Amino acid sequence: MQAIIHILKTQGDDIVRSIGQHIGLSLISLLIAAVIAIPLAILLMNHKRSANVMLQITSVLQTIPSLALLGILIPIVGIGTVPSIIALVIYAVMPIFQNTYAGLTTIDPNLEEAATAFGLSRRMKLFRIELPLAMPMIISGIRIAMVMIIGTATLAALIGAGGLGTYILLGIETNNNALLIIGAVLSAILALVFGAGIDWLGKLSFKKAGLVLLTLIVLIGGFAGYRKIASPATDITIAGKMGSEPEILINMYKDLIEHDHPNMQVTTKANFGGTSFLFKALKSGSVDIYPEFTGTVLESLVTGQKSASHNPKTTYKVAKNALKSQYQMAYLKPMQYQNGYDLAVTKPFAKKYNLKTISDLIAVEDQIHAGFDPDFHQLKDGYPGLSKTYGLKFASAKTMEPSIRYKAIANGKVNLVDGYTTDPEVQEYHLVVLKDDKHFFPPYQGAPLMTEKLLTDHPELRTTLNKLAGKVSTTDMQKMNYKVTVKHEKAAAVAREYLKSHGLLD
Amino acid sequence: MIEFKNVSKQYENNLALDKLNLTIPSQDFFVLVGPSGSGKTTTLKMLNRLIEPTDGNIYFDDKRIIDYDLKQLRLQMGYVLQNIALFPNLNIQENIAIQAESLGWSRKDRIARARHLLSQVDLDPDQYATRMPSELSGGEQQRVGIIRALAIKPKVVLMDEPFSALDPISRKQLQDLVLRLHRELKMTFIFVTHDMHEALRLGQHIAVMRLGHIQQIGTGDEIMQHPANDFVRGFFQNEHAPRPTTVQSLLDAGYGEATTAAATLTADASVSALAAALKQTTPVVVTTVQGPRALSTPDLLDYLAAKEAD
Repeated sequence: MQAIIHILKTQGDDIVRSIGQHIGLSLISLLIAAVIAIPLAILLMNHKRSANVMLQITSVLQTIPSLALLGILIPIVGIGTVPSIIALVIYAVMPIFQNTYAGLTTIDPNLEEAATAFGLSRRMKLFRIELPLAMPMIISGIRIAMVMIIGTATLAALIGAGGLGTYILLGIETNNNALLIIGAVLSAILALVFGAGIDWLGKLSFKKAGLVLLTLIVLIGGFAGYRKIASPATDITIAGKMGSEPEILINMYKDLIEHDHPNMQVTTKANFGGTSFLFKALKSGSVDIYPEFTGTVLESLVTGQKSASHNPKTTYKVAKNALKSQYQMAYLKPMQYQNGYDLAVTKPFAKKYNLKTISDLIAVEDQIHAGFDPDFHQLKDGYPGLSKTYGLKFASAKTMEPSIRYKAIANGKVNLVDGYTTDPEVQEYHLVVLKDDKHFFPPYQGAPLMTEKLLTDHPELRTTLNKLAGKVSTTDMQKMNYKVTVKHEKAAAVAREYLKSHGLLD
Repeated sequence: MIEFKNVSKQYENNLALDKLNLTIPSQDFFVLVGPSGSGKTTTLKMLNRLIEPTDGNIYFDDKRIIDYDLKQLRLQMGYVLQNIALFPNLNIQENIAIQAESLGWSRKDRIARARHLLSQVDLDPDQYATRMPSELSGGEQQRVGIIRALAIKPKVVLMDEPFSALDPISRKQLQDLVLRLHRELKMTFIFVTHDMHEALRLGQHIAVMRLGHIQQIGTGDEIMQHPANDFVRGFFQNEHAPRPTTVQSLLDAGYGEATTAAATLTADASVSALAAALKQTTPVVVTTVQGPRALSTPDLLDYLAAKEAD
């Protein structure tokens, strides 16, 4: 609870902006879906067979998993708001179409007969009789679509459209339940508020409802237009994955570029999504630069390089060449810190047994009760391989959720955990990371990734971004992550502070 | 004037109307009566072209109805439905004025017309005009259903079993109402019913139908007195036609004693004639095929009391 209040206090502005993005995305999608589905249902209300075909099509669209749909859309329309809206519209069309069609075709045939026998025009019959009678069904369809949209819109955060999903994904990514709750609760509240609004709209006459909708469209359009005009022209867009570390890095990139080239405008997009989305975004040109790990490049992005070397320099070289030959991408020099697996113990424990390296564990292996993340416990790159390389066999090794793992060592339930080298919890719980003296863990070094074309157009970027090459130690990164994740300082401020204190920025 | 000339309606494997010929004079109150499946509703719905004939022609004022503009034709034919079918989303005055609205009348004129019609059928406009249909009783709803059909002064009003869903008291009141409206408005009323009693009560002319054929057309009296065939005769009996109760009814019910006295009344005399005779002298002797029988005042009272109890 305290964590939630703290986040609300420190990140209030960002949260309000996310709510605004979420509302904008949802409303626009809902409006577009309604504008497509309702007239379609009206057109097809007297054509049962076509209507059935249409129902089938919309149902099939419904079954496409949202992530797959986003994946399909990115190569076609890129990333950001547009594919999110398209995906949301595709999902929302079915309930609205189905309910409108059902509402229009289940009207008491006697009423239809009366309207026909009175010689009412098609138009009058529709607007005076049929639509008002179908209205409760149409409204419930719109409600269903709305709830679905607000829920699914959280996924928009994956492809850089922002919204409350940012907090949910970030919460999942960083095991921060407070963020997760903020995102989820606010989404639920939005759904409730929208539901009430839709009910209210359904009770109004056509004219009034139309007027309200028109006002909304103008407001959203105006706001979007204002944002477009107000946001400065951008030369370079730098994005980062979920979490504090990429956000700190992209702010460093931005500060360095704008410092060296004052006429260049850089826009950052933090918490942009997962690896594959970012990589697609880079390929499609929606994003110009993002920081990527050497290990991840070999593991997920390039083909034919599965057996990663345990030497950081070789790994970087292999990754760089593969990116160049397979994707015409430039991969600048990596920073010093490594964000890979590690083993950590508490400071008192390390002191007591004089532990500095993983090899030092061999002497005390009978006393080690380890808590491992399930992946680490099973992967060849994890405990099984480690145990083979170092000849280690701990007294016990339990698997547990990543966040619980750190709490377990803090509470003394276990005395050794795996982790990522730059995890802020190392600082938070005063842990000691043991040196991988046999270079067992595959190296994960961060470096800026961009297209070769960008570097051809702006060759000066190479010099600027290479200022970070070999800089930022693992401890530096841990400290910065701690400040942002635990102390909730702004990533931009933390990044600038680092650059200044290390003489990279005046 | 409306004329059907050799009109047939063929459904897939069922001939609903077979070469129907029928003339309905202007300003008539014309009743189509018959059991279900007789084709009476089909005949009615052909007039406003809800159903199209498969053969033959229908003339309205000497012009084929298929030559009329459909909307113009329907605007001249008011329509009252069996299920009343007031639009539940519109209030009473909007329901009444729906055709006027489609003709582009001003709102003021529409309201004035609706209120006038409401008062014409004894529904207080101040109380009823802005209520919703669901707030009205069945009888009240069908009053509105009737005046909705009259709103733009059509030449013809088509009524499809409009009172069949109502309770007996409301039905009687509404029958009186349509008779009054017919007298006042000088329109042609065409009324479909399966109730012979209702047909006799309302119709100036009655067409008795069965299985797509007209059995007999005539006034109520003509049909009653001279049924064209066994079906028409049987239909009357089944429907408890409002024949005046005769002395024979008492005899049939077992009243009266054999006597040798001279008869003063015949068995087909009305019950009121018997009552009058009983005032003069008691018992009254009636001639029957089994010989004269004596009826007393207690016989008449017992009979009437028993009949009342039915």
